[in-house]
Amino acid sequence: MNDFDSRWARLVAAARGAPAPADVAAPYGFAVRVAARAWADDRPTLQGLFGRFALRALWVACLLMLASVAVDYFYLRTGSQDEYATESLYDPVSEVLNSSS
Amino acid sequence: MADETFDLAACLQRVRARDQIAARELVEHLYPLVIRIVRSHLPRRVAEEDLAQEIFLKMFTRLDQYKGAVAFSHWVSRIAVTTCIDQLRAQKRRPEFRWADLSEKEADVLDAVLTSEGEVAVNDSLAARELVYKLLGQLKPDDRLVLQLLDLEQHSVAEISTRTGWNPSLVKVRAFRARVKLKKLFEELQRKERS
Repeated sequence: MNDFDSRWARLVAAARGAPAPADVAAPYGFAVRVAARAWADDRPTLQGLFGRFALRALWVACLLMLASVAVDYFYLRTGSQDEYATESLYDPVSEVLNSSS
Repeated sequence: MADETFDLAACLQRVRARDQIAARELVEHLYPLVIRIVRSHLPRRVAEEDLAQEIFLKMFTRLDQYKGAVAFSHWVSRIAVTTCIDQLRAQKRRPEFRWADLSEKEADVLDAVLTSEGEVAVNDSLAARELVYKLLGQLKPDDRLVLQLLDLEQHSVAEISTRTGWNPSLVKVRAFRARVKLKKLFEELQRKERS
């Protein structure tokens, strides 16, 4: 590697000796164009809106889910679970079968 | 960046308040810095003005993320460097390095470096710089960047780390690997010799 290192070092040392390019000013109209585009690109995009509202929507969905679980749990605890078992349902099919036999 | 009287803090405040004139002043102030970075990393076939424009647009988009932890010029340099690297990565194919593609002066410099132990002539420094860029152009973008900053521009590992966001160990490892690749290229060139 030493041989290469010395060659590379000589080459980059020579390259560093090249005069540095002078500072150049922005071409005419460049700054105006860039500034105008910067603000133009500031309009909300679909992706931007999604990114903005997705997290809030997630929080709202979580709250709704918790609320629905809580309500359901409360409903089950208050004994309403027997509602369907105790309620006598009208069964038209058995009515027809009974009347025909 | 030559304007020493430029009040950057006040300008940034105005830009954040959507002041178009301040935005133009900021672009004009930073243009020399950005164009210097663009020119030293310019990917092939990409117009420097287009690349500079992309860098400035990114700067405006991310301005709210700038918290002042580093100098603003460093922050912008980082955006510029990463944008150039992204462009270079997008151009997967690198042209083969051939003696025939070198100018007469560049070939002389390469010949002198490969065959003799002497220094390269001072008046060949421009050709030497072009040659260095062509050789670095054979490397992967990250390898090229690390050698350019470390060897050619003589930045410290810490500075490169700040500029690129890579940790110091990664900078050293990348520099080592890049030198190994460059060594292979040198050996190959020596085998082929100048026709």
